[in-house]
Amino acid sequence: MSAALRLERVAIHFGGVLAVNDVSLEISTGEFVGLIGPNGAGKTTIVRIVAGMLRPDRGRVFLGEDDVTDLPTQKRVRLGLALTHQIVRPFREMTALDNVVLAAGYKNTSSPFQALSSVKRRAETERAVEILARVGLAGAERKLAGALPLGQLKRLEVARALALDPKIILLDEPLAGLNHAEASKQIDAILKVHASGVTIALVEHNLEEVLRVCRRLIVLNNGAIIADGPPAGVMADPAVGEAYVGAGSDRHAAP
Amino acid sequence: MSAYEVSVASVIGINVILAISLNLISGFCGQISLGHGAFFGAGAYAAALVMTKVGNAPLAVAAAVAAASLLGTVVGFASLRVRSDFLAVTTIGVNFLFIGFVRKQAWLGGEMGISAIPPSGLGALGNLGLILICACATVAFSVYVNQSWMGFAFRAVGEDETAARTLGIDPGAYKLAAFAIGTALAGLAGAFYTFFTQFITPDAFDFIFSVMLLAMVVIGGVGSTFGVLTAAIVLTLLPEAIRFVNDYRLLVFGGLMILMIRFAPGGLAGLARAALLRARPR
Amino acid sequence: MYYVDLAVTGLSFGCMYAMMSVGLTLVYGLLRILHIAHAAVFALGAYVTVLVANATGSLALGFLAALAITPLFGMAIYRLLYEPLLQYRPDVPMVASVGLLIFMQDAFRILFGEQGVTFQNNALAFKTLDIGGVRVGVVQAALIVAAAVVFVGLHVLTTRTRVGVGWRATVSRPKIAASFGIDPIRVRYLNFALGSALAALAGGLVALMDNLVDPAIGFVVSYKALAIIVLGGLGNVRGTLLASLALGLVESYGTIFIGQWLDRDAIAFLAVIALLMIRPQGLAGVRAA
Repeated sequence: MSAALRLERVAIHFGGVLAVNDVSLEISTGEFVGLIGPNGAGKTTIVRIVAGMLRPDRGRVFLGEDDVTDLPTQKRVRLGLALTHQIVRPFREMTALDNVVLAAGYKNTSSPFQALSSVKRRAETERAVEILARVGLAGAERKLAGALPLGQLKRLEVARALALDPKIILLDEPLAGLNHAEASKQIDAILKVHASGVTIALVEHNLEEVLRVCRRLIVLNNGAIIADGPPAGVMADPAVGEAYVGAGSDRHAAP
Repeated sequence: MSAYEVSVASVIGINVILAISLNLISGFCGQISLGHGAFFGAGAYAAALVMTKVGNAPLAVAAAVAAASLLGTVVGFASLRVRSDFLAVTTIGVNFLFIGFVRKQAWLGGEMGISAIPPSGLGALGNLGLILICACATVAFSVYVNQSWMGFAFRAVGEDETAARTLGIDPGAYKLAAFAIGTALAGLAGAFYTFFTQFITPDAFDFIFSVMLLAMVVIGGVGSTFGVLTAAIVLTLLPEAIRFVNDYRLLVFGGLMILMIRFAPGGLAGLARAALLRARPR
Repeated sequence: MYYVDLAVTGLSFGCMYAMMSVGLTLVYGLLRILHIAHAAVFALGAYVTVLVANATGSLALGFLAALAITPLFGMAIYRLLYEPLLQYRPDVPMVASVGLLIFMQDAFRILFGEQGVTFQNNALAFKTLDIGGVRVGVVQAALIVAAAVVFVGLHVLTTRTRVGVGWRATVSRPKIAASFGIDPIRVRYLNFALGSALAALAGGLVALMDNLVDPAIGFVVSYKALAIIVLGGLGNVRGTLLASLALGLVESYGTIFIGQWLDRDAIAFLAVIALLMIRPQGLAGVRAA
């Protein structure tokens, strides 16, 4: 049974700096993994590589059986990967509901010809309503996405990801910019999604919540993995402590 | 119907097809095209060549649609590589290149254009009938596209390509489709124009004309089929009905464009929607 | 000799394009708006030069009037048209700009006639200088000298004066510039004022050279300016200068080779489209994600 997501010796540099250095990792189906590390550790870069927005200089990326290293984002999405963005990207001129309906209708949008010949939306709309309720956005359906507050927009991102019937969802800082109450709601939404059988990988700074819910933590520093395991063990690892404490005095240019 | 009325109605029909097809590219899919005249012209010239050499009307229509769509697909490929404002400049460039090229080609009539084009065989009234049927079909098609998943995907691509990708939508494929379809329709309008005038010159397809088409889309309401339909009809009729408008056409069009964008960015459609909302009892 | 003549022509046109395009690239660099109505500014400059020169009998007054009036016009365009539209995506002010251009073109036609206006007393258009054996038109020379002065001046302004450095800072890092006490709004007005004045100067000189200003005068040049700023890298003044000169020369020599296939004016766009296909970010730009 192949892993939901597998990175094999991925490396990339930006102008002379090795932002990701020979990283290999495997996330199995059903896991709830957190990818953490100090600023500049290379977390965002890895997210972008997995998402297909950046091509690594070396290494391969696998989604299940499929080698997706050379595929653009939308093809990876159709192979089971869903993403949420750190800086939310809703379609502001559409309603919250339509944002999710469009995601739910991915079978209809696989090609322009397919899309031209499909008009019916009832099934996707019903599904979207149900998903919005699941992430705690019931009642916001008819509102324009552009009018929603950040907390709701972050959950909308999760709803859209879920509507794609993904095998794995990669969440890029889903709690960034949220206050305590909103972060809690967001985590609940994510937990519900995980409970329905979707593999979750999240990149986060907010250690409090991450430690609470993740079953496994992968710690990144200077573009390489320095720890990987259950939260308690990882946080007790002296190398991890040093990475976080020492990070302030380190000079690393990687984003 | 008098000959004059037939003539005006024919031009309205042609402009409707042109404006609605431009709305598909620039309104539904958000790809600003300032060179729609070039595709119209490509269609008109292709039809003219077929009619003068072979005299077969259906073939002329087919050639027009093919020529326009071919040019349109090439420009569509350009849209995959360049950002939206660069794309606008590219479309202006395509318009200029088209005119610049045609002006120098003797076999295309050069600056004088192609005259004495054989009639389509339908007669003026028959031509009008054909134009109106196709204009209605274009409107219906536009409404259909808007309701379909293609329209849905277009809106996503027009607003945010990266976000569209994360929903599994391939922005490049949709942009190409928008250009291919929109320009094919412009080519169709070109063939009708050739049947109607039986005499074409390069100037009819220049940048100014492209701007006027975009004005119809903007004034009607970017993305709204019925708004653009209304604007196309009104803006074609206005110069005919009001002498002042005819003499100062660009002034009026330009002025309306500015006023609309500045004070009513949703165009006529937006104004209509706002009025309906206010009329509804709360 | 013929080739030298072509070089002079190409160079003088290039200088004219440069003065016209600088304003365009500056606005784009600052606001990300394609200020297509810049052509109307150019045309206004040309008209004012001719009309005032005819009314007062002094060419110098004509130029001065143009340099005084067009910056006001340019700044008004920013304040009345662009500023309220900055909240929308950049396509919106661009389309408004196009609307303004065709409005202005028609206005010129209505006010001053389809045929345009000519200088009543234009001795300079036909005078030539002999420089090292080469015949150079006085106006051509003026264009080259003016452009040289302008660009050197701009360079000094943006590197040696407080105003200029502040301006550059605002273009590249608006928030940081603001926190240093530089008023971004002032910079915008300066941008439009300067760019417009340069366009007016170019317009006046072209009017002198052709001895005619007609409603369409801004048109062709403005489209080429669009092509030029893309080639030079949007917002990049040096790139714009290079692209302008290059285009002037290419057009001059290019018509020899391509003249039978393409209109001279279309050459600019051919170059741009070809370039964009190879390098979508333009000659000096940075590739957007």
